Amino acid sequence: MDDAAFLGELLSLYSPSGSEQQVANLLCERLADLGFRSYVDAAGNPVGEIGSGEREIVLLGHIDTVEGFIAVRREGDLLYGRGAVDAKGPMAAFILAAARARPRNLRLTVIGAVEEEAASSRGARQAMQRPRPEFAIVGEPSGWAGITLGYKGRLWIHYSLVRPMRHSAGPGRSAPEDAVAFWNALQAAATEFNQGKRPFDALDLSLRRINSRADGFAERVEQLIALRVPVDFEVASFKSLVGELAGEAVCQFSNEDPAFRANKNNPLVRAFTAAIRAAGGEPRFKLKTGTSDMNVLGPVWDCPIVAYGPGDSSLDHTPNEHVSLAEFRRAVDVLAAVLESL
Amino acid sequence: MAVCPECEAEIELKEAIKGEIVQCPDCGVELEVVSVNPVELAPAPEEEEDWGE
Repeated sequence: MDDAAFLGELLSLYSPSGSEQQVANLLCERLADLGFRSYVDAAGNPVGEIGSGEREIVLLGHIDTVEGFIAVRREGDLLYGRGAVDAKGPMAAFILAAARARPRNLRLTVIGAVEEEAASSRGARQAMQRPRPEFAIVGEPSGWAGITLGYKGRLWIHYSLVRPMRHSAGPGRSAPEDAVAFWNALQAAATEFNQGKRPFDALDLSLRRINSRADGFAERVEQLIALRVPVDFEVASFKSLVGELAGEAVCQFSNEDPAFRANKNNPLVRAFTAAIRAAGGEPRFKLKTGTSDMNVLGPVWDCPIVAYGPGDSSLDHTPNEHVSLAEFRRAVDVLAAVLESL
Repeated sequence: MAVCPECEAEIELKEAIKGEIVQCPDCGVELEVVSVNPVELAPAPEEEEDWGE
């Protein structure tokens, strides 16, 4: 199978979260062509298994993308398309490497998770019900010489304030003014928390939406605040603080996933560092300020786990998303060497 | 007995594994076992912070 053509085929099928069926079916066909036992699971994840034995390595990538189709095109070594980096490139690399490695006395299970880009993480939540594998590799762009060990967690705050209308010439603050004051207080608390901390250990706030309206009887304001939280962040006490700062407003929480940081002293990490060096690279460990399916799977499986894949993550979710095919092939080589050595 | 390449402290390692990452008890730097016979240590791959996903 021509590797660039295979990746191009995946990129040409637009699959934003919730619309992955077509690409799932295609992957099942291609997995079968490569000798995998393939099927689509209850969540819609295409699954391919190859090899036999009690020992299992799970390679879980994701087949959904953010919205915004990018016409697939090749410019020299670069292949453009939505998902080239995040994360059909890593997914395709997993499949090609597993097909090439064919280890003995070891099962390789490749999973194309759905809805990673949605807060539901539906594909990963289905996969986490599987028995714990011996090793797990999550498909995300680390660069071919990078090994991602951790991701920050997340928490969303839904702020809502409803108050009877009063004359604007009277005393007191309007509902939108209270909402702004809440946001400012939250930012001040985060600034204090973040003193002296590096980005991976800091609390990040992002005001995603703020809307206000009035109907003559009541004024309403709503805001959505997305947080990126560090490892061991005390969520319960933070929620109490949010309640205090919100005053008479109501705050609800959603999309709560803790941060996760993997251990780097295990045979899986050693296999990656050795394979990257053998391919002429200098391995680097990465800690990411975003989230991935590692946040869902890592705590449940509690096995050696890393995220790996070709691509520059600064191109994630951008209209310029592309991957170097030379890097893609190097990542396949590294993955195949890792799978053969474990 | 291995030597920390950063502070030259002597570090005793029992059953070292190639690729294992250890911490120097004196200077605290992370070190990688790059050879086991004899045991040799080098600075471990650095941790970078990155965004994405």
